[in-house]
Amino acid sequence: MAGSLAATASRLLGRGSGTAIKGAVMLKVDPQALPHLLVGKHLVLVSGTNGKTTTTHFLAAAVRAGRDPSGASIVHNADGANLHGGITAALSDKPKATWAIIETDERVVADLIRVGAPEVLVLLNFSRDQLDRNHEIKALGRSWRDALAAAGGDGPVVVANADEPLVVWAAQTARQVVWVDTATTWTQDASLCPQCGALLVRDQPDQTGGHGGRWHCSDCELAQPEATYRVVDGRIVDADGNSFDPGLQVPGAFNVSNAACALAAATQLGVDSATALAGMRTVTAPAGRFATARFGSTTARLLLAKNPAGWAEALPLAQTPEVVLAIDSAAADGRDVSWLWDVEYEQLAGRTVIATGPRAADLAVRLAYGEVEHRCLPELADALAGHTRPVDVIATYTPFQRLRKLGGV
Amino acid sequence: MTAVEVVLVYQSLLGIYGDRGNATVLTKRLQWRGYDARLTVVEAGDSLPDSGQVYLLGGGEDAAQVSAVKALRTDGGLARAVDRGAVVFAVCAGYQIIGNSFTVGEHDEVIEGLGLLDVSTTRGPARAVGEIVSRWIGRDGEDALLTGFENHGGYTSLGPGAKPLARVEVGVGNAADGTEGAVAGTVIGTYPHGPVLARNPALADHVLQLALGTELAPLPRPEIEELRRQRLVAAFRRSS
Ligand SMILES: [Zn+2]
Repeated sequence: MAGSLAATASRLLGRGSGTAIKGAVMLKVDPQALPHLLVGKHLVLVSGTNGKTTTTHFLAAAVRAGRDPSGASIVHNADGANLHGGITAALSDKPKATWAIIETDERVVADLIRVGAPEVLVLLNFSRDQLDRNHEIKALGRSWRDALAAAGGDGPVVVANADEPLVVWAAQTARQVVWVDTATTWTQDASLCPQCGALLVRDQPDQTGGHGGRWHCSDCELAQPEATYRVVDGRIVDADGNSFDPGLQVPGAFNVSNAACALAAATQLGVDSATALAGMRTVTAPAGRFATARFGSTTARLLLAKNPAGWAEALPLAQTPEVVLAIDSAAADGRDVSWLWDVEYEQLAGRTVIATGPRAADLAVRLAYGEVEHRCLPELADALAGHTRPVDVIATYTPFQRLRKLGGV
Repeated sequence: MTAVEVVLVYQSLLGIYGDRGNATVLTKRLQWRGYDARLTVVEAGDSLPDSGQVYLLGGGEDAAQVSAVKALRTDGGLARAVDRGAVVFAVCAGYQIIGNSFTVGEHDEVIEGLGLLDVSTTRGPARAVGEIVSRWIGRDGEDALLTGFENHGGYTSLGPGAKPLARVEVGVGNAADGTEGAVAGTVIGTYPHGPVLARNPALADHVLQLALGTELAPLPRPEIEELRRQRLVAAFRRSS
């Protein structure tokens, strides 16, 4: 009985994560399990298309540093299982915790605002991800906006990325917003005003990749809000104007942006900036991201990229002469791999790429048209075998999880 | 070297599904054959050049689709391109835009299209999402099988001025009558979005031959053959 229930749940979730399945079974037995587990907790939600796992790890580490160094009172869905089932399972592992720092899938945010009364909600960004399912990005933004409006004065303080028009529009209905200028460079997914549909205008975009430029609508009043937290030249400036070298152990400009959002949220939870950053600097490989794994004699660093925005961030981090790219189109990856054509694989020209994963053939054609030298080895184990020098691996969600298992991280 | 200009129309509005891939494919296939091929990317608000041989339109969400059709009507460059015999290759939302009309939103608001292709689109009973395989009408052999991924809520019917591009083997396509896409002269519309020309080099070369008015030598690439084989097997296996 329990087995068939778990199998059904696994099919519904499509991710096959053990925690998620356990949580789904719990919800089947008691649909109210999630709200019951949230009673009496300081609930903090972190959502967005990219970076939510790392940001949740940052925030949990910051709260731990500032509020409870033992960590006993903090619960956190550290493995990234972020749908109802995964969140329920994580909470049930530590029912007495008083701080719940929860990574939340974009589709679950509105529901948790309704049933969980979060104190703080962090909204990172909003880009194309799995369009075969979320074919209208704006509908998701509207669900956030409507839930925040309905929560009114009882709703969360929202920490929101001011660089993202859809995030700004969605957060506008919150009782209080702390805006963060994250110096986001990816602008390809935000060309129309989410409020009125007119074209968005960007001022002085920095073509060298420094900044996407401040934005405003060409027709209505929607515009990039003035931020109280900012990322400036790789440093984080807090609400009091203190500037910090983030000094993180995880790489990439986007993780500085994530840390700035986590810092703003930590302040709301009563943690001062220096302490919060000290906590964040202890984060090394959140849910396997940026972890170094061993595959026989091969040493490989694992990077996750789920969509064009994620690939734009991850590709410059891959610096090894040979790079392994793993592509799948399982439900969690998105069944449509058209996005491969929105990623500038051309920047890998001059190095050797090993295309792997069930959709390696799609990548091979993309690389052929990008005139990037490549080999196609669809089996992950073959692609990782026998490298004498360290390799960087970038993978979509499903092969990333398989690589974590294979590599023991 | 013959100079050829491929124009990618409104990448920011109509590029949601990797549709710029079609521009990459056409440009590279010309360059690999020694042509001086140039890609021009035009955004809404800027004029379409009158110098292009091929104009490409991609997919987009409702609001972007409405913005794009308004801007294109004001611009007028696409109609001029068709008049002088340039090729228009439009996928997904772009296919709907170049038709007579399409609908958007929950209340099925009717939007007038550019009227470059005699087709009309209305919201269908269910969104078509998945692998699609169709058989190119008037073609023989393995090249006649067109493989792609479709994701659209609109169903399209053809008027007397347009002929279907293909017949659906697996998937939805135009929906009502089992056809896929539409053709009239040098204007081609089709539902499979994103890199449809990457998966179908014969169709890519057909677009180029229409544009250049000359036959092109084959350009065999093992990666593409392997991808075609895999996608066709996957689509037929799922449907059987
Ligand atoms: Zn506006």
